[in-house]
Amino acid sequence: MSVTRDEVLRIARLAELEVDEETLPELSEQMSRILDYVAQLSAVPANGTVKIFVPGPDAIRFRTDEVSPWPLAFGPAEFAPAFKEGFFVVPRLDQFE
Amino acid sequence: MSDAKAIADRLTKVRRLNALLTPSKDLRKSLTAQAAAARPTGVLYGMPVAVKDNICTLEFTTSCGSRILEGYRSPYEATAVAKLKAAGALIAGKTNCDEFAMGSSTEHSAYGRVIHPLDKARVPGGSSGGSAALVGSGAIPAALGSETGGSVRQPASFCGVVGIKPTYGRVSRYGLVAFGSSLDQIGVFGRSVHDAARVLSVISGRDPRDSTCEDRDPLRLPTVPESLQGFVIGLPREYFPPELDPGVRRACERAVRFLKEQGAAIREVSLPHTAYAVPTYYVLAPAEASSNLARYDGVRYGPRFNGAADLRSLYRSTRGQGFGPEVRRRILVGTYVLSAGYYDAYYRRAQQMRALIAQDFRNVFDRGVDLLFTPTTPTPAFKAGEKLGDPIAMYLSDIFTVTANLAGLPAMTLPIGRVKGLPIGGQLIGQAFLEDEMIEAAYALERVVPATDEA
Amino acid sequence: MASGWETVIGLETHVQLRTKSKMFCGCSTAFGAPPNTQVCPVCLGLPGALPVPNGEAIRLAVRAALALGCTVHPKSVLARKNYFYPDLPKGYQISQHDQPLATSGTLSFISPERGGVSAGIIRLHVEEDAGKSIHDRFPKATAVDLNRSGVPLIEIVSAPDLRSPAEARAYLLTLKQQLEYLGISDCDMEKGSLRVDANVSVRRAGATELNTRTEVKNINSFAFVEKALTVERDRQIAVVESGGAVMQQTMLYDSKENAVRPQRTKEESHDYRYFPEPDLPPLVLTPEFVAEQQSDLPELPSAKRDRFAAQYALSREHAAVLTASRAVAEYYESVVHAGAEAQAAANWVMTEALADAGDHQEQLRVPPAALAQIVALVKGGTLSHQAAKRVFAEVAAKGGDPRTVAEALGLVQVADTNVLAGWVSDVLGAHATEVARYRSGETKLMGFLLGQVMRASRGKADPKLAQRVLEEKLASAP
Ligand SMILES: [Mg+2]
Ligand SMILES: [Zn+2]
Repeated sequence: MSVTRDEVLRIARLAELEVDEETLPELSEQMSRILDYVAQLSAVPANGTVKIFVPGPDAIRFRTDEVSPWPLAFGPAEFAPAFKEGFFVVPRLDQFE
Repeated sequence: MSDAKAIADRLTKVRRLNALLTPSKDLRKSLTAQAAAARPTGVLYGMPVAVKDNICTLEFTTSCGSRILEGYRSPYEATAVAKLKAAGALIAGKTNCDEFAMGSSTEHSAYGRVIHPLDKARVPGGSSGGSAALVGSGAIPAALGSETGGSVRQPASFCGVVGIKPTYGRVSRYGLVAFGSSLDQIGVFGRSVHDAARVLSVISGRDPRDSTCEDRDPLRLPTVPESLQGFVIGLPREYFPPELDPGVRRACERAVRFLKEQGAAIREVSLPHTAYAVPTYYVLAPAEASSNLARYDGVRYGPRFNGAADLRSLYRSTRGQGFGPEVRRRILVGTYVLSAGYYDAYYRRAQQMRALIAQDFRNVFDRGVDLLFTPTTPTPAFKAGEKLGDPIAMYLSDIFTVTANLAGLPAMTLPIGRVKGLPIGGQLIGQAFLEDEMIEAAYALERVVPATDEA
Repeated sequence: MASGWETVIGLETHVQLRTKSKMFCGCSTAFGAPPNTQVCPVCLGLPGALPVPNGEAIRLAVRAALALGCTVHPKSVLARKNYFYPDLPKGYQISQHDQPLATSGTLSFISPERGGVSAGIIRLHVEEDAGKSIHDRFPKATAVDLNRSGVPLIEIVSAPDLRSPAEARAYLLTLKQQLEYLGISDCDMEKGSLRVDANVSVRRAGATELNTRTEVKNINSFAFVEKALTVERDRQIAVVESGGAVMQQTMLYDSKENAVRPQRTKEESHDYRYFPEPDLPPLVLTPEFVAEQQSDLPELPSAKRDRFAAQYALSREHAAVLTASRAVAEYYESVVHAGAEAQAAANWVMTEALADAGDHQEQLRVPPAALAQIVALVKGGTLSHQAAKRVFAEVAAKGGDPRTVAEALGLVQVADTNVLAGWVSDVLGAHATEVARYRSGETKLMGFLLGQVMRASRGKADPKLAQRVLEEKLASAP
């Protein structure tokens, strides 16, 4: 199997990643090799009888419903790349976007 | 505070390794302040511990070796860091690493590669290469790293130091910048088993801020055992393939003889799905990473990479230019395997394989084996640039370490000799939450193995 | 326009759960704080932060599911829904996907066209809200406020069982009423605590297949539900009637123009790449916990309406008005329990109490025992109905014991026959001509004379008793 140039572009759009034209052939070649390599997993029985394993606790522990915000040493104004009148600011989006 | 100054001086002397990202001046200033504030009754009082750059600290920036977080100061600190400070330890700067912990050589850092402490042409391993190189250089007794697929054990092995990855859920991940959340654990480096174990014991234990952290008391430090009488140690045959580096094989065989001499029973075992571990890992880790790294979008923190007129181009240029090539590659692979039409073929299969790999370990442990012994890496430290053009070759250097992450098991490496001057690591893999047994065996081996001699 | 056509509608309703703190962090959910002041590492999506679930949010979600007759699953899974938007800090929403909290319920409601019907509930799951993007705050920029980010929600997905825009509205109002009853949410669309998206398709009347549907979003007030769906229905019918085909797309409702427009995002951005949230173990609920929530559910509106009609011998209309909100229903029952006669209490609650509440932020200001006393004072002849209304208003505004208030206002009726006899004598003396005419058979003058007695008493005479005294005096010899 092989990942086409168009597929790389589609995935890059999904991931909101800019990829430039020159790196595209190499990128699709590398993605193809990686995906071909991991495709050996199709040796696993696909009948779904394997019980999924997830490490960590077996069940969620719940927090009690209390207002106790985890503290910030300094506020968003200090780390945001664009912050105005208390808001994070991004280029204008249409309301219907 | 001469201690703080001495620590800063030792770290400054090994600047050439490019292992520490914190500027010397900032480090000296912070160490002095920390030393003045440290609790004299803490069990790690005055001990300098360097911290991988993907673990949040209030003292220093947290850039994850990435341009996308260049200059980022976290407004909160990781639970592990808070626990270290509460125990009187001094946070001795942030260590260089592969960008977002993605890599096995610490060549994928936006801030330049880390140099192996014994051979400047070689890599220290990765992704926690900065922490490994600093401890390996002798500048510092211990450091924190993080593991997703061997990123503590592999560089520890390359640099000739002890590296421990605890059981998944043993140490809080709160404040560890996520890469593959179901695989990530903070791990420790130490000059000795004792140094590594005491740091691990301090950072371990419950944390209400991490739902995947087990509700358990901190790890209790085991004592050095008289012998390994009663220990059954398994040697999984899949970890000793014919193509294994001969030097690595010799060192392991010698270590096994020492284990036997200490009274351990040695048994050959099989973990039949081992060959699938790397492909499983390279589906699950990128899939989780593609989602975990979605938050770096130039909206709330980190630099923006152009004066984009519209939001989509702000996203695309910030992420396209802020992430390096390996991170971009993994985000794309991860996005691909989760995307419509591919999920079942990749992600679901990988989940199923993960379950089979975990079951392999349970089967062996259920049959009376206490611990497994394996080489940590298939080769000693390789040369810089050697695997950069071939991602899969790079991925395969994690072949013996990713399994413990997939199965969530504790595992550690300790130096068991050298080959042509390069350190070789021996790996112990333990049962979930039985780090104490694993550390006991490591104590016993460490006591007798000539770690710096040719194997 | 819609004749010959049938509309098929399914609703996806997002409801904010009534908790003090957010779904996955300890930040406050209070409405109206200055922007980005109720935020922390978790809900800002800072590097390294992790979610910790709020048990109360899960409890409320389970109650909502049980009230809708859903099967609550002993184990469900939280999942990440991945997409990029500036008010979604992590680049994914923690939601549920292929293993939701609850499935297969129903909601019964009164359809304006079909009468009593029920709609299937396909699923109910928990999730976190995004922040808020404000597009008109700055000239060339969108402002992002993350105070809402991480607020707990449930999403309730109905089957495509609704057959008209009006029916969709009725479903939604019934759902809202039920959730308010359960204390799960305040369901205030204006504050964003209830939001609805609709899947809409049309087909020829009598057809059974499901045609291509569109999703209508941005319906942000109850008033617009019916309007938005009508506009979209009519648009689809027009498309099909002119020989076109409805395209599967997302339509955004513009309430200013009363129009829908297709959303301008790429189709591929809807590939959400769901996968299990690795930061959270499975959501496991013990059978004991679920049973406890079940047994602890309050009486739901329809059951309460039926019971009121039967137990208090009320008309169905009155029972419906009294059970429209849980607060009013409980108030009514308290008034009755305090001794008021059921129908009189109903009349008082439906008129004076609800009108007063409407003017005073839905506060039922007269305590139930006081209203019961007012009802009793009227029944016992101590207060006229008009006087009682004045007492009600006074007690509502200033509090106090109704009898004391009535006395202070001089509204208590005089039922002392000696006093009444005095007023009657005065009136008979002053109107000798009318008395004579009455005695000669012009009995309709009783009304006039009684009016004079009431006037003489300045409204305080008990009218029934006054009439009796008057009749007695007129019957006796002059
Ligand atoms: Mg939703
Ligand atoms: Zn928060």
